[in-house]
Amino acid sequence: MSVVLKLSRSNRIYRSSEPVEGKIVTNLPSSISHQGIRLTVNGAVNMQVRGGTAGVIESLYGVIKPICIMNKNVEVRSSGKLGSGTTEIPFSVLLKQQGENSSERFYETFHGANISIQYLITVGIMRGYMHKSLSTTMEFIIESEKVNLLEAPISPEVVVFYITQDTQKHPLLPELLSGGFRVTGKISTQCALTEPLNGELIVEASAVPIRSIDIHLLRVESILTGEKYITETSLIQSTQIADGDVCRAMTIPIYVILPRLLTCPTNLAGPFSIEFQVSIVITFQSDLSKLYPKSDPRTPRLWLAMETLPLRLVRAK
Amino acid sequence: MEFRERDYGAEESAYSLPRVPAKNHPLFARSLPYQVDVTDNGKDDFCDPLRGLGANMAMHIGDVEDVQSTYNRKLSNEAALQLSEKEWASFKRSLMQKFSATKTVSISSMSDVIVKSGKAHDKSSTSMHLEELDDPQKIAEEDVKVITCQEYVSRLHELKDEICHAWQADDRVTSLKLSIKVARLLMDTSVLQFYPTLFVLVTDVMDMLGDLVWERIKRRAKYADDGTIICSLPENFKAIDVCPDAKETCNNWFCKIGSISELLPRIYSELAILHCWRFLHDQPCESLQRLVMMMRGLADPLASVYCHLYLVRCAQKLLPCDRGYLITCINDISIILMRIISGKETISRYSSGNKKLLISLIEPTIEWSVKCMFTYQWEIGNLFAELGLGGNLSESSQNPPCISIVLHHIIKELPAEIVSSDALEIVQLIESSKDFSFDQHLNYTLLGFKLCERRPQMDSVDAVLVKVFQAVSQYDSLDEYLKVVDAYLDIVLQYQMENYLTIILDGISKRASDKVVAESELGSLQSIFIKLLTHFNDLEDAFALNHFVEILDVMYGTSRNTVNMHILNKATRNGYIRDPTTIQLLFEISQALHDGIDFSSIKDDDNQQSARLISHFIQMVDYGTEMDRHLTFLVECRGAFGSINELKGTLVHSSNSLAIKAMKGTNKHVSFVKSCIAFSEVTIPSISAGIRQMNLYLETAEVALLGGLVSHTDGLIESAISSLQSLDITRGSQINVDVDGIISSIRKLCSLLIMVPGNPTEGIFYIPKSLLSLVTSDPGVTPRLRARTLCAIISLSATFSQNTLPYHVKNTEVMGNDILFFGDPSYNQELSSISSISVQNLVEGIQEEVYKAARGTMALEACNCIISSFKANPEISLICSRLMEIAKSCLNANDKYLRSTLNILDKHLACSRDACVVVV
Repeated sequence: MSVVLKLSRSNRIYRSSEPVEGKIVTNLPSSISHQGIRLTVNGAVNMQVRGGTAGVIESLYGVIKPICIMNKNVEVRSSGKLGSGTTEIPFSVLLKQQGENSSERFYETFHGANISIQYLITVGIMRGYMHKSLSTTMEFIIESEKVNLLEAPISPEVVVFYITQDTQKHPLLPELLSGGFRVTGKISTQCALTEPLNGELIVEASAVPIRSIDIHLLRVESILTGEKYITETSLIQSTQIADGDVCRAMTIPIYVILPRLLTCPTNLAGPFSIEFQVSIVITFQSDLSKLYPKSDPRTPRLWLAMETLPLRLVRAK
Repeated sequence: MEFRERDYGAEESAYSLPRVPAKNHPLFARSLPYQVDVTDNGKDDFCDPLRGLGANMAMHIGDVEDVQSTYNRKLSNEAALQLSEKEWASFKRSLMQKFSATKTVSISSMSDVIVKSGKAHDKSSTSMHLEELDDPQKIAEEDVKVITCQEYVSRLHELKDEICHAWQADDRVTSLKLSIKVARLLMDTSVLQFYPTLFVLVTDVMDMLGDLVWERIKRRAKYADDGTIICSLPENFKAIDVCPDAKETCNNWFCKIGSISELLPRIYSELAILHCWRFLHDQPCESLQRLVMMMRGLADPLASVYCHLYLVRCAQKLLPCDRGYLITCINDISIILMRIISGKETISRYSSGNKKLLISLIEPTIEWSVKCMFTYQWEIGNLFAELGLGGNLSESSQNPPCISIVLHHIIKELPAEIVSSDALEIVQLIESSKDFSFDQHLNYTLLGFKLCERRPQMDSVDAVLVKVFQAVSQYDSLDEYLKVVDAYLDIVLQYQMENYLTIILDGISKRASDKVVAESELGSLQSIFIKLLTHFNDLEDAFALNHFVEILDVMYGTSRNTVNMHILNKATRNGYIRDPTTIQLLFEISQALHDGIDFSSIKDDDNQQSARLISHFIQMVDYGTEMDRHLTFLVECRGAFGSINELKGTLVHSSNSLAIKAMKGTNKHVSFVKSCIAFSEVTIPSISAGIRQMNLYLETAEVALLGGLVSHTDGLIESAISSLQSLDITRGSQINVDVDGIISSIRKLCSLLIMVPGNPTEGIFYIPKSLLSLVTSDPGVTPRLRARTLCAIISLSATFSQNTLPYHVKNTEVMGNDILFFGDPSYNQELSSISSISVQNLVEGIQEEVYKAARGTMALEACNCIISSFKANPEISLICSRLMEIAKSCLNANDKYLRSTLNILDKHLACSRDACVVVV
């Protein structure tokens, strides 16, 4: 006895103006009678506060009341019977009311550490008092409305950066300070979600051998609690672009494919905001590093040099 | 018994076949086949199995562009792919063989996938990203485990199976994760020698993953979820043919791989599924350039170059349309090599001692990449510039010098016509590349050989040679010098640049003097000498070269022998050798060759050949009128080459022909002839084989007779008889003795005796008698030898009985027996007695023959001999019928010999038949 939702798109991506279509597939050993088949479509921003800049009190409260984006209940079939074997019931649900123009409300799906924006579609088959109702839930993904998208290609906003012992705000190993190093490059600070994050980097000089150069993709989630924003920065993905003491004066490409679901267009909604950063982290060879095998890569250490830049993610056509 | 009278002249004209003088020698070749220019002829028709395919492939690709025929393109694509698959497979094999691994591998614990058995991975895909961050930090853990290569390899095979099983169980995430772990193994380059093997094993796994992904996406493009066909994807599909679902899946794979944190596994994984770009783009080559660039992030030289290798390999599957990525590849590899060579930057793990090993490990990757660059016949035009090698000389001084090992492989793969047209540029490149990754002189050598393939223009040759010889003149090492000049020698000779030849020989002699030449140098010297010898038509021209003999003298051993043999071969091929200095030189060479013969292995082919060459040389020597000098030469030879048996025969022949030559001369040098014969007489006894001895005695005897030296002749014939006696001709040792040879020698002796005047002091028929006693006295003599010898004696006696002998010595001073003993009754009487004894013995002897057929034939031979020697009378016919009885009893009645003998017998006995009847 099973009920399955099958969406019309295998990637489950829809836009808010589009109807979510699909089939309810039931597979029953014997026919049953029901009191109606209902679809519930729910979209919400779920937030929680923990760690980060949240104080002790706030973190005690933990979960903050979610923001409802949409909640819609549709009856697909009124009460009746479902035959044995496989039955397919097609459905189509409009997400937006006609005439409604609140495209901003339909935030793109995002799964973060503190904030998650999620759209769920649930089917329920009511079977009266004596029987347990059948139901199943499935997530679908919302992407921004095409009409509101920026024209591709988006204007390349490239930042030139340079990393030396003098640009670091945290203490460094003495040999790094005395020997010096200089890594320069450029990286785009505005990037379409479907495109890789591009850039390049040159190790111009480094007295201490380099162990690794990594590009960290960070998300900055801020939640308005009371009168202040509680912000937490966390690592989404780390991409190594240099392994070992690379050749000096050689252009090394920065090429990072943005992970889906874990990224969304930069969102400054008001009650919460989702922003991104890109961080170039140079790890130098040091015996000290072996003492901290599993430290958070974002923690400034004596043998690290880093440069963090804001990254604006956009949905382009 | 009465001898039959014979008219030899009439018989000859009656029985001999008509003869017509031949215009041409039957063995003389009508036209010289050697005149065909081999080099030119060969080039056009010869299909190089390796190059040919490349050319065909290019042709196919050309067709596509012209005709746009999909069918053709499909064919060419498949052919190219298949070819590259095969080549790659054999390359992998050679890679593993070349670096056969050490027994154990120490692996750091980062390779936990090898040490531990694979765990079950059933985590959801969303947690995968986070989990990868938790991957054990490689440097943090220092404990190193040692396992055997065998274990390592078998573990990898297990992993491959695991990946395959996981995939089949629809657990593709596990497959990918395990594959990534396998790829991570390549991060550990400390295994050095094992790395190529590891590379092959790991890339096998990655290739498998790539194929699985490819097949999956292809299936998604062809069939819908419920198994209905969406489209039949053609072999040569375009991105537009692929349905969005399949594209989505493909894109997901690239995203998944893009999220791999570590660089090296990420690159390997993307390369594994690189050909899947075809589902997304029609021009998937763009990513190649990016991947090459990404590899710059791999600081470890070994990891980096092998990663490049895998890229080049995977790019082949895309059939890329430009070679930009290859150029970058090779340039980047060059930079890596430069770092190793210069040692400016720290490459911590590699000590200077390991650098050679490192370069040898890197070499195959260069070889393959360069090879790929020339697989497709792309425009070569500005290749040098693209490789950062080109430009004119002033520019190239700013460019970093080319790495010699890279240059080596480029030159190796460059088509010969490019090499020959750009020779000067290449020389300059070689000149500027001087590092320890590859010996510079070997690059010069390679260029030389390449230039020989397709000869360039005269003026450019000159310019190239100037450069090469400038460089080479700096070499102190003989070995290097030889290797290079050997490569250019053909060109120098073909263009007749005598000045360079002089330089080369001067150079060799300067470097070779006062030192023992090493084995490898001998090889080069040998090659140089052989080239010189083949070039010069006349050996004397070669000998006239500066230092030729001097350099020859520094050689020793087998290569010396080989060169010597070539010289002798050359010397004896073009007719007689007349120049005394040449003869002297060749004599010395022969001596060296003779000294080099290892007599312990006399059956060795080489020895046989040297002996043959020396004797041929002796035969070809001609001092013209200075015959005394010639004889002295023969004496010297006898002294020098005493240990070669075959040679003595040659010496005797030579001295005999010298004697004949002297006799033919206007004034007869009797004393010279005598000394020649004396020389022969002295030389013959040292020949071990008795039958050869005898033949040579007979030959010398004949010469002596021709010279009118009757007493010498007698002595020589006696010696011949005694050497016959010394032969063990008894039945017991007949296996070793060539009976037919002996018989023919005895017959020869008998025919010679006809011309020899009987010696009254010893008895006129002293020699036939001793021959007779030789075969009759010893019961051990085989019946066949005896019978034939007796037949010969009977024929001899019959001939002696004639009033005129059939032939005489061509010397008026020597008189034949027909003149000396004409009408002497004792003479005839003695002949009769000899012949009757012979006939008697003959008939008896035949019955001793054991074998029936042989007995029959012998009886027929005897019968024929008797009929032709004696007048028919009852006695003779009785003997003959007896012999015929034997023959009939032994042979088939239809035997042709038997029948013809019967015919003759009938004819000859016709007159005396009546008498027969009376007797009966």
